[in-house]
Amino acid sequence: MMTLYVHRQSWLHRRSAGLKLLLLMATSITLYALTSLWAAGLALIVVLLAYRSLGPAGWSYLWVVKALIPMFVLIFALQAWSQSVSVATLMLLRMLTLIWLANLVTLTTRMDAMMDAVMPLLAPLRRVGIAPHRIAFTVALFVRFVPVLMAVLNSLLEAWKSRGGGRAVWRLAIPMLINAIRMSDHVAQALAARGGVRSPDTPVSMVHSQ
Amino acid sequence: MTFTIELNQVHLKRDDQTVLSDLTLTLSERRIGLIGDNGSGKSSLVRLLNGLLQPSQGTLRVRGHNPADGPEVMSDQVGFIFQNPDHQLIFPTVIEELMFGLRNQGLSKSDARDRAEGCLREHHRLDWAERPVHSLSEGQKQWVCIMAVLVMNPAVLILDEPFSALDLPTRQFLTRWLLGLPQQLIMISHDLDVLSAFDRVLWLEQGRIRGDGAPDAVIADYRSACSGDFTL
Amino acid sequence: MKDQALVQVALYAALVAALGLIPPVPFVTGIPITAQTLGVMLAGVMLGPWRGCLSMLLFVAVVALGAPLLSGGRGGLGVFVSPTAGFIIGFPAAALVSGVVARLLQRQSILIAAGVGAFIGGILVLYVFGIVGFKWVTGNDWLRSVQVMAVYVPGDSLKVVLTALVAQAVYKGLPGAVATRQA
Repeated sequence: MMTLYVHRQSWLHRRSAGLKLLLLMATSITLYALTSLWAAGLALIVVLLAYRSLGPAGWSYLWVVKALIPMFVLIFALQAWSQSVSVATLMLLRMLTLIWLANLVTLTTRMDAMMDAVMPLLAPLRRVGIAPHRIAFTVALFVRFVPVLMAVLNSLLEAWKSRGGGRAVWRLAIPMLINAIRMSDHVAQALAARGGVRSPDTPVSMVHSQ
Repeated sequence: MTFTIELNQVHLKRDDQTVLSDLTLTLSERRIGLIGDNGSGKSSLVRLLNGLLQPSQGTLRVRGHNPADGPEVMSDQVGFIFQNPDHQLIFPTVIEELMFGLRNQGLSKSDARDRAEGCLREHHRLDWAERPVHSLSEGQKQWVCIMAVLVMNPAVLILDEPFSALDLPTRQFLTRWLLGLPQQLIMISHDLDVLSAFDRVLWLEQGRIRGDGAPDAVIADYRSACSGDFTL
Repeated sequence: MKDQALVQVALYAALVAALGLIPPVPFVTGIPITAQTLGVMLAGVMLGPWRGCLSMLLFVAVVALGAPLLSGGRGGLGVFVSPTAGFIIGFPAAALVSGVVARLLQRQSILIAAGVGAFIGGILVLYVFGIVGFKWVTGNDWLRSVQVMAVYVPGDSLKVVLTALVAQAVYKGLPGAVATRQA
């Protein structure tokens, strides 16, 4: 399945998802209260060591921030110019620590474990008429349709290129959307043909007792 | 309780257009093929049988049930296979897909898993259980679709052009497999060869029955009608 | 909610994920423009406020759970503590407001209703989230945060126009698919 989770056994993998999420939240609050460069630097080093503990390739996962580098440079320059280099450094250390720490939780926690950990938080939604099993169903459907729509977009891109392509790639959004709408009609029909999304707690005979 | 499908003077209109007119049929054969040009009403006809569409006039009974009760009720009686497996496969993995209908039938999670695994084992595909659906070939996907419906143990299996995207060997494999099933089969197909082993073929044209009988005769009539004047 | 609504919610979320595949156009300052916010605006305009919002909530939640569905393959919890976190967290609100505005304007032409909806939801609302997030993560002051975020505006304005054009084209072919235009 599409996920950033890295299948492996490590001390971090064995911790519960709820614990890791709580620790992450606590760290993010503490980190913004820190004003000492040394303390922030130490926090970063601890996170880096945690990555190293994942194995020899652990540090390669730090590349997750690659896309953000231009932005970091911009922010750092602005801060250093408008305030001071030490303020800019502190901020950069905080951001990197937090992003890497959050990413570490993602790398070492299975998606279903994460979902189980947050499901209790969704229970109140039952009051507004959204039962948890319907949420779980919609998540599954979403995960299923990402590769399907990606394949649709790919074939549209190929057809586009094979007919000469050009700059107005955005036009593909129209057939893409029409495809998605048609597909949702078909899927809804196929779903109805298989009995719809019923509650696992409600036997069929009770749904249609009239 | 009758074990047949009966249509009595069924009419269907959609957006003021007549799709099916005055169909009276008794379908009791094991394997029935449905042929005809696009727009002849084939897909609408089969959608009446599991309640996806409701007739504008007339009555129909499927094994004693009234499809007007809706697809939710009919899904226990009628398994429906669509043309494009990507529109039908709802879950990311094969096992979840097979478990879905069983859960709908009220089975517990572990019972549903047992039954689903039993079905895969029966077809020697237990290793597919945890496979992501999108990693399967088109033919494999369609096979999973059919298994996901069969595991619910319906009495009738309806297939709406199930093989149109599949290559010849896959078609032949799946057809052979389908013909060995205990379910009553109703299949729409443009691949006329597939239907030659069926018990009965209906030829639909503009919402009416134009041919009905043994496959060889009906298919031959259809072929000769198609070889006449035709223009797009 | 009906089953069909669940399917629509899931499919628009998947649409936003798929739009992440369109290669981002690198813009000045190295900040890429992605096609994903186009999907966010479309979700609001096409599905209406409530379903559009739920659909984007679904997308954001699954990204948070670790799916690399943001353009460039980003995902996971790290996204939500990065400088652009607000832009992602704001997706549901942006879709909601786009839908509300488009529905209010349903007597206008679809081009105007969708365009204004996308502008207010996808730019005004989304930027409030984006700027607050940026300020919170980086500790910059308001003025600086607004300045930095302003580099995204030209690209996003383009997407507003695209949303309007796409909604219009789809409305011609499938009028029933635009939920904000049913009386």
